[in-house]
Amino acid sequence: MDAGSRPFDGLRVVELSIAIAAPSCGRMLAYFGADVMKLESQQHPDVARLFGSAWARTPELAAVFTDTSPYLPEMNANKRSVGLNLKSPAALAAAKALIANADVFLTNYSTPAVTDLGLDADTLRALNPRLIYAALPAFGSDPDRPYYEFISWGPNQAPLVGLDEVTGFPDQEPAGVAAFAPPDYFAGLHAFFGLMTALEHRDRTGEGCWLDLSQFEITVSALGPYALDQQLSGEVVTRSGNRVGWYAPQGVYRCTGEDRWVAVTVQDDGAWRALAGVLDGSGALAADASLATMAGRHAAHDRLDELLGAWTATRSPEQAAAELQEAGVAAHAVHSPETQLTDLQLTEYGWYQARPSFRFPDGDLLGSCAMHLAGTPGRWDRGAPSMGEHTADALTEVAGLDAEAIGDLVDAGAAFLPTAPDLKLHRPYEHVLRFLGLQEDAR
Amino acid sequence: MSTTPSHSASHGAATQPWSGLRVVDEGGLCTAYATRLWAALGAEVVVLEPPGGHPYRQLPPFAPGTTAPEGSLWWASFGQNKRSVVAEANSELAVELRRRADVVLVEPGPDERRAVLERTPDNVLVAVTPFGLRGPRANWQGSDLVAWAASGLSYVTGFPDRPPVALAKLNFAAHVTAMVAVGGAMVALRARKATGGGQLVDVSMQQANAMLSPEAGVPLVLDDGVHRSRSGNRRTVSRPFGLYPCADGFVSIIIVQPAHWNNLAAWMAEATGMDAVLEPAFVDLATRWEASEFIDATTEMLTMPLTKHELFVEGQRRNIPITPVNTVADLAVDPHLEAAGFWREGDHPVVGPHRHPGAPFTGAEGWWHWSRAPLLDEHRHDVASRWDIPDTALA
Repeated sequence: MDAGSRPFDGLRVVELSIAIAAPSCGRMLAYFGADVMKLESQQHPDVARLFGSAWARTPELAAVFTDTSPYLPEMNANKRSVGLNLKSPAALAAAKALIANADVFLTNYSTPAVTDLGLDADTLRALNPRLIYAALPAFGSDPDRPYYEFISWGPNQAPLVGLDEVTGFPDQEPAGVAAFAPPDYFAGLHAFFGLMTALEHRDRTGEGCWLDLSQFEITVSALGPYALDQQLSGEVVTRSGNRVGWYAPQGVYRCTGEDRWVAVTVQDDGAWRALAGVLDGSGALAADASLATMAGRHAAHDRLDELLGAWTATRSPEQAAAELQEAGVAAHAVHSPETQLTDLQLTEYGWYQARPSFRFPDGDLLGSCAMHLAGTPGRWDRGAPSMGEHTADALTEVAGLDAEAIGDLVDAGAAFLPTAPDLKLHRPYEHVLRFLGLQEDAR
Repeated sequence: MSTTPSHSASHGAATQPWSGLRVVDEGGLCTAYATRLWAALGAEVVVLEPPGGHPYRQLPPFAPGTTAPEGSLWWASFGQNKRSVVAEANSELAVELRRRADVVLVEPGPDERRAVLERTPDNVLVAVTPFGLRGPRANWQGSDLVAWAASGLSYVTGFPDRPPVALAKLNFAAHVTAMVAVGGAMVALRARKATGGGQLVDVSMQQANAMLSPEAGVPLVLDDGVHRSRSGNRRTVSRPFGLYPCADGFVSIIIVQPAHWNNLAAWMAEATGMDAVLEPAFVDLATRWEASEFIDATTEMLTMPLTKHELFVEGQRRNIPITPVNTVADLAVDPHLEAAGFWREGDHPVVGPHRHPGAPFTGAEGWWHWSRAPLLDEHRHDVASRWDIPDTALA
């Protein structure tokens, strides 16, 4: 491969997606060079676009509001946006012309919704036998299954698949995973894994395939050990704060500062002796035989929490974590969004990056991808696309339409181009990015 | 082809997409979830276990009346479809196995990370660490809980008056990391088709889980300047938006779309006589947020007399996004999972017969094959003979 080339150069992906599950998968493909063309509609914009930005709720910015959400580069960086109002037959034909020349169709629309649009698996696989059709409906694509028509999206998948029941303290109702949706991202990772497998399958057989990725089954598959325990022992796993049956002590402890905490795991007996030495310089704690084993420390967990909590209460999370790690105990500050931005390790890996986009030419912030390939790395070329930014390019290059045909589609309202192309925006926090060296000072 | 009883006769059959691929898994908790799936899709995953056995062999819960190394249900679950060979990390056997593998996955300890970073491997070498192979904290230790703390996920999970919490009991951060690690390996294998060469893939638990953090949100918080913290089991955006108690547990009710609200309001009015919820102003998310107390109280009047299953089925029939807060016992008898044929019958000489999760997704015909977790060192001679390992290495 040439310098600068990437593993998915030449791979074409058409994405019809909402929010997180499918977009997070397409974004990883785009990071490694795939041409990911996101189909976008003015009648039904991606919900991530509808959030917009608090500062963009003004009449002057109404035309570009759907380009302003900070979620967009997090979900759609490096992708192209193709504006097609798919309810129009001409737009649908243009979409099919893209898909006829694509390797992958990736969607998390519900099965009835893609079927209504005429973009169901049978239709598209007949159109393009080498196509890999990857769908992530909440409950799979089989209409005979009981929940086929049920509605569920990120936030209420976590309770359904058993995550909320085990989140929180035993003396309280479930805390749940309320602020973000692990099953969405987990489904996106399985879709990526499935697509890599389907590409391998196609290399060997010459055939595409249909990946049916039910989000329900995906996350339940991570519960294996406890599903077996329930069958074999009748034990029903529930919440236990931050305690687990194999490390002790383990917890999140209060530090100095407002709502600041450190997470600590004593991973083995050696780490316990190290922690005991930190907590009690006299050596008495380390010498206490009742605490030498994990079982003994479990039995004394409340007391150990008090000792450790009293120690952390006089330190910042960063100081506590550094002292504990120095001694060989696993620990880290509980990052708030504010402290996460300047994390030393994330900074070392260039996790937060500002990349130019059509609407934010001086750069828009995004978090990177955790797959660091030393020989053929991915990269972020640009932030999220503006709605319809690449309509003309994609329809020309991939669907083979000429300028006149594209003009006709736009005139008929079947396709669209970016609104207010000369209206360029700046995030209100660019000074922070310049301060952190994430963005050059353009002044 | 293997003749050992732990693998079905079709294991490695040409119909499987990854058949013929050799993987040596020296990872611990942070690779096992995904290598189990890879092996089910045809990759030959050899778990190179230290003499004490893989860490998952030590983790409770255990099958009744059993102990390590065979009785852990973590191992019974995530050791599935793999082969076991026991060898010291620096033994000739380990070296010979790695040399023949297409992919090697490792979780190097603090003192080993620098050396891994400096290697130029012939094959695909995936190194999974808590914080990455380089940087000022490269030699720090980690755990599932620590990963959630360091990736911004804990801070927003829990009640505001209690410490942040995590999904540590599920090792969920480890499973996310495993999917990123194997995903990275698969990208490197695609690159190898073009370059012919291997490479190092550097994956950290911190960054793998930071991929789940956009909603917790650095770019979000910078953009609107609103600090976000824990809000318990309901989000501070509207109502109803989160968990509500019912007759036998809790349900999740999350209403954003106007149609969903109208359907719920009609049901609430019908069930409780509280016609005030039909007020058109409540269609607006922000108005419902301002009237949180009233909306929550009325929602609970609806939910409290009904079971979570009743609320789920009747709510969904009325086109309202309601889901139950399920336990593993609920999932074991869930009719959708049953109809999907999700649970598969398995057997294991120590754990005994059981049902285990099957395919998390479906692909082409014949992709998935399942076999039980191997006994410690069960495949030493089988792997050695098929991989042409010299006899001296087995001594």
